[in-house]
Amino acid sequence: MTQHEFDPRVKQLLDGELTLADLPAELRAEGEEALRLLAAVDRASVSVPAVTWRVMAALERRRRRLWWLAPAVAIAAAVVLLLGRPSTPPTTLSATVVTVRFVLVAPGAHQVSVAGTFNRWDPSATPLVRSGTADTWVATIALPPGEHQYAFVVDGARWVPDPAAPAVDDGFGRRNSVLTL
Amino acid sequence: MQGETGGRSDGEIVRAVLAGDRERYAVLVERYRDRYARYAARMLGSADAAEDAVQDAFLRAYDQLAQCQDPNKFLGWFFLILRNRCFAEQRKYRSQVSLDAAAAVPTSDRSDVGTETAERRRALQKALMELTAEQREVFVLKHVEGLSYIEIAERLNTSVPSLKMRMHRAYDRLREQLRDHA
Amino acid sequence: MMRTGMILGLTLFATTLDAQQTIGERLTGRVPSEIAALVQELGGAAASRGLPVDPLIQKAIEGNAKAIPADRVAIAIRGVVAQLDSAAAALRDAGVASPVDTLEIAAGGFAITAGLRGRDIGELARTGRPTSDVIVGLRVAGTLAAMGVPREETVRLVGSSLRAQQAPGELLTLPGRVQSEMARGATPAQAAAGLARAAAAQARHGPPPDRGPPPDHGRPPRPLAPPLP
Repeated sequence: MTQHEFDPRVKQLLDGELTLADLPAELRAEGEEALRLLAAVDRASVSVPAVTWRVMAALERRRRRLWWLAPAVAIAAAVVLLLGRPSTPPTTLSATVVTVRFVLVAPGAHQVSVAGTFNRWDPSATPLVRSGTADTWVATIALPPGEHQYAFVVDGARWVPDPAAPAVDDGFGRRNSVLTL
Repeated sequence: MQGETGGRSDGEIVRAVLAGDRERYAVLVERYRDRYARYAARMLGSADAAEDAVQDAFLRAYDQLAQCQDPNKFLGWFFLILRNRCFAEQRKYRSQVSLDAAAAVPTSDRSDVGTETAERRRALQKALMELTAEQREVFVLKHVEGLSYIEIAERLNTSVPSLKMRMHRAYDRLREQLRDHA
Repeated sequence: MMRTGMILGLTLFATTLDAQQTIGERLTGRVPSEIAALVQELGGAAASRGLPVDPLIQKAIEGNAKAIPADRVAIAIRGVVAQLDSAAAALRDAGVASPVDTLEIAAGGFAITAGLRGRDIGELARTGRPTSDVIVGLRVAGTLAAMGVPREETVRLVGSSLRAQQAPGELLTLPGRVQSEMARGATPAQAAAGLARAAAAQARHGPPPDRGPPPDHGRPPRPLAPPLP
């Protein structure tokens, strides 16, 4: 298909080694065709912001799978109970509030709280209290409808997601528990 | 932004990650994710495929980080991983790619680009997808990424003459494709 | 007094910096100054694009509470912006009337955090339900994905539930019902598929008789998607 082959000098033009002016008159048209081809190259940058958190989330997921091989941790179980919604329709602009009980079984813990989007992630805002057995910690709070993320904070420093709740990547290599009301 | 990352070099970050500071890897990803997304998009003909390829390449690079001979040359080493991923994708989806390319090709987001220019861009990207992966790559590295033949030869560990031969064949095939589908 | 001109000038200045002032108030003393500055910069730009700013502020405060290094927090905040942008773009592409409700964008952003993609958000928005119901649908979809339900099954279940005219209260029971099925031994995918079939049957036969037609919330009428086979 020799009719489709560019003249070698036009290829040099394409390579940037010659200019259009360097070409003889009979090759000008072909040279212009070649430059039009180059002009059609899309050099727009491509932005992929999602890659960062997806890569880190994938790395974190792999670590969590390996975590199950590690020796058992002290946190045995956690339960979040929805104590039911009020049956009367809301009378204020803000919608129905739901009472939620957080329960964590944490043998050996001296201090347990729950921190999340509903209390500005403040580990001191919502302490749990011992209830029944020495290992069971409880707190009952009222939350507005919406999507809430949280984690338990044990002994002021250890952030522990709720093993029984759905979890999402927190963007820092850990997981937050999700409560959707 | 240099300020946020503390101005740490690639080598420092790689060494920190290898020493156990895993979270620091995010700095490298954030720093370079876009730079090679364009190469991947032009190679694969789709921004979505490019995103997946870049993501996979960063994961692979993390896994093989200990084998990065020179932490200060992370970029060049990473590029080869991404390149392998793009070439593997080509082999897998060769039959689909030429069909999808015209539909999925990322056109410029700039609103000042007229429809005629956008059309020509689409046509060229479609024509590019008809080349072999090696031909498309040399074209993309030179004419999209703006590298010289010498720089490309270094990066791909090959010779300038063989690159030129590949490129000149690419020029002819592109011309053929564009004429046949004008 | 000479101060009048200055006060007027300051008032104008303050108005244009309104969003950023709110951010500043919520962050001062709670996060390092470099993070506060970053959130102000990104938050101002996000607000002018019609994105909610609250998720950025929440992420900054969370990072500080968890003692995360500042450069990592910065990356996480940028990640939140990227997710919100994706959600907003998906909703716009789905034909949601402009300006898109910021709560809807936030709900979409959460769904993306949980693993859903832009096209999944768009599919749920295209069910033709009012914004308030789509918001709940997106939150429930994100929760299901966070429970391990695969994307396809999540979208199928929430989508068919929305098309079946289920009220928000009913949608919110979906995670619990999937959980019950899983407790009986079903995989997340199986549990969701079973509930989706039930919702699809409901969509074919119309809503339960004690409910009237769906209220028109002022959005342009959109044909309901055809029932699932």
